Amino acid sequence: MSRRLEERPVASANRPKLERRPRQNFETWSWYFMRISGLVLIFLALAHFTITHIVYDVVETDAEFVAERWANPLWRAYDWTLLALGLLHGLNGLRWILDDYIRAPAKRVTAKAALYSVTGFLFFYGTLTIITYGG
Amino acid sequence: MSSTVYKGKSGQWAFIGHRVTGFMVFFFLLLHVVDVSLINIDPELYNEVHHLYGNVVLRLFEVGLLGGLLFHSFNGLRIVMVDFFPGAIRNEKSMFTAVLALTGILTIVGGYVIMKPFIDGRILS
Repeated sequence: MSRRLEERPVASANRPKLERRPRQNFETWSWYFMRISGLVLIFLALAHFTITHIVYDVVETDAEFVAERWANPLWRAYDWTLLALGLLHGLNGLRWILDDYIRAPAKRVTAKAALYSVTGFLFFYGTLTIITYGG
Repeated sequence: MSSTVYKGKSGQWAFIGHRVTGFMVFFFLLLHVVDVSLINIDPELYNEVHHLYGNVVLRLFEVGLLGGLLFHSFNGLRIVMVDFFPGAIRNEKSMFTAVLALTGILTIVGGYVIMKPFIDGRILS
């Protein structure tokens, strides 16, 4: 490890800058969100995949399977959490990708608008499906 | 894209793999919201569309999805460790090897289970 910050000779003009706390702006929170939601999603997504593809065969997860599962509100809550965190984590990841690779501002704005619209629409549509499903 | 090529070592491959698998999983999730939501329109329609997931082409796609999910999960853990535990960067390379090994092994095991109906000859298409 390098020497502690306080021990390093610092020009007095720089001092206030160094003592200031790092800014907690939107990108800081988005960085934290990716790590926290990622950790939660590892369990939610892998358990979901294991149930629907390993424990049961994929052809067994028919409408009847969904009816039995969604009779329990806890499974609806589980699926909704997976939907919400998955979409938000993916949305933020895609936002980073678009920022990195689309250089022309007009194209970037268009691509982001499309991403936000599609994701937002599917979030509401998926939420509606989970809430209004009546079996 | 050539400007984004860095030194081409483990860290860069992990970075590229993370983006590609994240992209894949996200687009599958968008599709998945649509196919599940069909259940509220007509359960029979849901069953018909859902039955397609059982054919051999889409089973291979599901094995790919599993591989993508596993890589993104394990590499995500590697990122969290590197970011939150300052000493972890020294083991970055061996952690990447572990990510690849775990992804490979679990994809093969899970892939075998997913492809089993086909392997047993119960489905031909």
